[in-house]
Amino acid sequence: MKSLVFERNLPRFAASRLASTFGSGRGAGIGPLRLLETEPPDLPGPGWARVTPLLSGICGSDLATLDGRSSRYFEHIVSFPFVPGHEVVGVLEAGGRVVLEPVLGCVARGIDPPCVACAGGMLGGCERIAFGHLKPGLQTGYCADTGGGWSHAGLVAHESQLHPVPDAFGDEDAVVVEPVACAVHAVCAAALHDGETVAVLGAGTLGLAVVAAVSALSATGRVEAPDALLVGARYAHQRHLAAELGATASLDPEQLARAVRRRSSSLSLVGPRPGRPTGPLTGGADVVFDCVGSADSLAQSLDMVRPRGRVVLVGMPGRVHVDLAPLWQREVRLVGAYAYGTEPLASGERVRTFDLAFEIVAAHGFGRLVSATYPIERFEEAVQHAGAAGRRGAVKVAFDLRHGGTRHGDAPSASTRPTRPAHPTRPARPTIAGTSTGGTS
Amino acid sequence: MKPAGFPFSKPTWPTGVPRPAPDRRVGVDYDHEWSRRYPVRLARAVVLDNVTRPAARIVAPTTVRGTEHLRHVAPPAIFAANHASHLDTPLLLTTLPVRFRHRTVVAAAADHFFDRHWKAVLWSFGVAAIPIERARVNRRSADVAAALLEEGWNLIVYPEGGRSPDGWAQPFRGGAAYLARRSGRPVVPVHVNGTRHVLPKGGGRRLPRRSPVSVVFGPPLTPDEGEDARRFGARIETAVAVLADEVSSDWWQARTRAARGDTPSLRGPDVAGWRRSWALDPRPEAPGRDPWPRV
Amino acid sequence: MTPRPGLVLEVDRSTPPTLFWHGERFVLERLPEGSRIVYAPEPLAPLEDPVAAIRRALLHPHGDREPLPALLRAGMRLTICFDDVSLPLPPMQSPDVRQLVIEQVLDMAAEAGVDDVVLVAALALHRRMTEAELRHALGDRVYDAFAPHGLLTQHDAEDPTNLIHLGSTEKGEDVEINKRAATSDLLVYVNINLVAMDGGHKSVATGLASYRSLRHHHNPKTMVHSRSFMDAPSSELHSSNWRMGRLIADCGVRIFQIETTLNTDTFPSQFGFLQRREWEWGLRDRATYVATAAALDRTPPRVARQIFHSIRAPHALVSVQAGEVEAVHAVTTANIWKQQGVEVEGQTDILTMGLPYICPYNVNSIMNPILVACLGLGYFFNLYRGRPLVRKGGVVILRHPTPWEFHPGHHPSYIDFFEEVLSDTTDPVEISKTYEESFATDPWYVHLYRTGNAYHGVHPFYMWYWCAHALDHLGRVIVVGGDPAAVRRMGFSPATSLDDALEIASDVVGRSPSLTHVHTPPLLMADVR
Repeated sequence: MKSLVFERNLPRFAASRLASTFGSGRGAGIGPLRLLETEPPDLPGPGWARVTPLLSGICGSDLATLDGRSSRYFEHIVSFPFVPGHEVVGVLEAGGRVVLEPVLGCVARGIDPPCVACAGGMLGGCERIAFGHLKPGLQTGYCADTGGGWSHAGLVAHESQLHPVPDAFGDEDAVVVEPVACAVHAVCAAALHDGETVAVLGAGTLGLAVVAAVSALSATGRVEAPDALLVGARYAHQRHLAAELGATASLDPEQLARAVRRRSSSLSLVGPRPGRPTGPLTGGADVVFDCVGSADSLAQSLDMVRPRGRVVLVGMPGRVHVDLAPLWQREVRLVGAYAYGTEPLASGERVRTFDLAFEIVAAHGFGRLVSATYPIERFEEAVQHAGAAGRRGAVKVAFDLRHGGTRHGDAPSASTRPTRPAHPTRPARPTIAGTSTGGTS
Repeated sequence: MKPAGFPFSKPTWPTGVPRPAPDRRVGVDYDHEWSRRYPVRLARAVVLDNVTRPAARIVAPTTVRGTEHLRHVAPPAIFAANHASHLDTPLLLTTLPVRFRHRTVVAAAADHFFDRHWKAVLWSFGVAAIPIERARVNRRSADVAAALLEEGWNLIVYPEGGRSPDGWAQPFRGGAAYLARRSGRPVVPVHVNGTRHVLPKGGGRRLPRRSPVSVVFGPPLTPDEGEDARRFGARIETAVAVLADEVSSDWWQARTRAARGDTPSLRGPDVAGWRRSWALDPRPEAPGRDPWPRV
Repeated sequence: MTPRPGLVLEVDRSTPPTLFWHGERFVLERLPEGSRIVYAPEPLAPLEDPVAAIRRALLHPHGDREPLPALLRAGMRLTICFDDVSLPLPPMQSPDVRQLVIEQVLDMAAEAGVDDVVLVAALALHRRMTEAELRHALGDRVYDAFAPHGLLTQHDAEDPTNLIHLGSTEKGEDVEINKRAATSDLLVYVNINLVAMDGGHKSVATGLASYRSLRHHHNPKTMVHSRSFMDAPSSELHSSNWRMGRLIADCGVRIFQIETTLNTDTFPSQFGFLQRREWEWGLRDRATYVATAAALDRTPPRVARQIFHSIRAPHALVSVQAGEVEAVHAVTTANIWKQQGVEVEGQTDILTMGLPYICPYNVNSIMNPILVACLGLGYFFNLYRGRPLVRKGGVVILRHPTPWEFHPGHHPSYIDFFEEVLSDTTDPVEISKTYEESFATDPWYVHLYRTGNAYHGVHPFYMWYWCAHALDHLGRVIVVGGDPAAVRRMGFSPATSLDDALEIASDVVGRSPSLTHVHTPPLLMADVR
């Protein structure tokens, strides 16, 4: 059975790193990812089940890993060789579609009693991610023992990781539940208050999901409702989507700082000059979601957040060089937002992040963000498409594994929406992944 | 990288050991004797004639008048001039006849030109400046100047004690007169006009703006029998004022007004700010600025 | 040879192509047969001795005013106000008229022993002038005598300590003007009356006013009812200013108004062809046109802009009058009509104009899309008396590159106006209701206006209101050769060529419309019968 396997291979690693300087995803063919025959992984113990993937998304963090740009911090919390793919919708052997919640917490690792975080349902904060009866791996798709979504051989998942998919959901809808859950978690981590101004930097899958999460959760009173939701998006279709999903204004990134300044009536520390109409603001947005995760986007976020505001890192940053003086002087809170678990809400309930994500996906018909699907045999093309998603007018690119690996050489089934034909077939929805490392959905 | 420690870097001074005073002195105590030695004089002459002079002529096309009065003056002499700009000194030095030019020192404010070692070196070399304390009378400064006159060095003095803040002159002080009485050398009054348009005091302008200037030398003055320094100083101021009058009107009118004793004061009218400025000479017509080629 | 009056030419088969300005370029267009082209009168002969004429005017004032020297005495407070960088256009060759007049006024003040003199640039909500611009307008002598003492000031409409509220007119309009000027014993205002709109009570009531005062006449309602604001009796803008001016006079503010008119000698002799009728172009004109046009085609826009903004107009003084505001202004207006008036018979379906690189608000700056609209629909459209040149529901075709480009230092609020406001609505009434307040009070714009060289936050709104009459009157506005995105943002139609534009216009005015082209600059005022 064919699987895409990521091996520890330094020369290939270096080659893809080099190739990626010409564009994210360019090095897929010569990089550490290879299409191999593999056996389905063994079940690690009781409570585990086999899942055969149907669709599996390519995430910003996958791209960063393939490009050789992800942080060396992850070296010790992944195990090689692994099959990538953690945005997965699949079928159980026993039948029934499921979405995978890929975080491998204490329960999945067989650690009893679980750590404090896992005991509290905060899976993303698990303190035992590299231990237990599984090899290290923060998520399915980075662990040598579990397999991953980019595979016909399938993966194994603990029952605690599985969420059944309602029949009304198409596969495309289901595959974006995981990134939406990341966004939901980020929005909850931001602790929004009524009347605040929120800025979102970047409108790839994660940025759009954050926009959808803010508007949907505040509409249902799950989080407090901000006054304005301003989105900086580089490409026109991203701006259209952001506006559709509930942004107050969706603007070109360079206009975003000006719009934030206008809305917060703040001053700018640097006078206007050609090519840079605003500098660091004296006031600014209450919350900035950085859905890009680059040094530039972080610096931009720090420039436009108000003193004592919050910058939420949604996109996965790597080693970035950022001047932290404004963070210190303005007492900005830099909030990381990884993964999901259980969210304590403003309404007082505690709800699993994935349950909220399912609601939002249903409400917004999020499956339309899946712009193109490829068979895994054409992974080079798929990865390149994902790497240049923004420019090529895509949002989410996924592998389509529904045909048992038999459809070699088929065209990408971009417009194939067997379960939800009602969705408008928009060509091309981009992410910012073209220029950055994207998110760890 | 960790910086290399002692002995690869300079040792720090133990707190318990008193530190001797630095041996390099600046300000009024600066030792400028080196600047009058032969090789330095030669180098200065080369720079003055080949760099300073052409540069000064470029930014300030100069008219020189009254050099005939210097024909019968035997060096050394004291040149007393009004002062409006940093340009005055290079301009004066380069317009003096050669027999004075290369044996002239300039009295310069110790607090402005000699407050840093590098500045002291620069000015001592460039214009043969000697530090003079202007805040109070300093015997040492006067002794040094007198000694230099004795040695045969000419001296340029600005009796106003500093550049004019608004274009009108400040009251003349008695230094030049005192030195003349003490040494018995003549004082040549000099009027420099227009340098404030080129490089004014203050105003934030660092680059000079080209504008014509004039330098007028007057007939030498010597203190009369029994005339004290204050009186003689006033006479010097009047002599410079007459030269100024001559520049703005003509020689005859200036002489007749001087004879009647109503030469316009160098210090300008005693009225409110803008009217003082308004009464100044307008800036000479700037050369036309038309970026377009004529067709 | 006496200068010839204006001309309305009917295009026939032997008419050579017509010059259209196109921002920092110009093009020759062939207009359909039967179109009319309105040419400006030739520049009037300049005064032979401007300084003597100025002195004569100061000594023989109009209306109920004594000669200036009689108004000056030692110990008085004298404030001299002057028009800012927006006049004249293009900036005139040295010496500027303001310099000539102010030097004479100051000589008289010095003779009279007036110690307390302050100069105020009457900016209203315009940007502050730079040192170079002030030196150009006033001359080095005035600048050096006043600026170092802090006596050369620029009106600051956001400085509460230097504003005084004089009261309200009978229509409830607040009158709040510069305190120093209002509390002086004599206020001398030095005008350059480039067009008929300038001067009169508008000088003080607008030039020295604050936002609180200006909003009463700078709003869509007043603008729609100013037909046109070049014709004071039919201009609501001027009625309001006149009410305010009379209130200012009633409050005891003594104004000695000096108004000057210039001839329309707009471009240096090298560019003579720009103000010559095409069929009279000689060999030299044709050669310079071909060479200049070819050179400009190869010049990057930034460089071309710098070149054009370095043009200094050879404008010459043709009249100067001083004294009481209304008496002076009546004479001035007549003089302007003498220079600029052209009689035109009847309205037209389509009005075309080529817009140059400059308007009052982008001297030494970038002509952004809002200013393009303002110059075409605010200024040129309004250069009429009687009826607009174009009929109600007609079409205006502008020619300008209309780049989506702003000077961040001069026009910071324009950027946000264009991005935030115009993307929402282009209706002046709606805009004024929803957005004006927040822009006018935005602290960043206020800061840049007071300390930098930025137009006030509310200024782009005024530019848009300036167009209100035209927007209300016209069926469609087409911009030829403009950046399509920028043109559409303003609610206009982009076209790539004049033929295209005429094709688009036919939807509105039918297949065989009448067409009139105003051949300006040089400026002209159409007296439409």
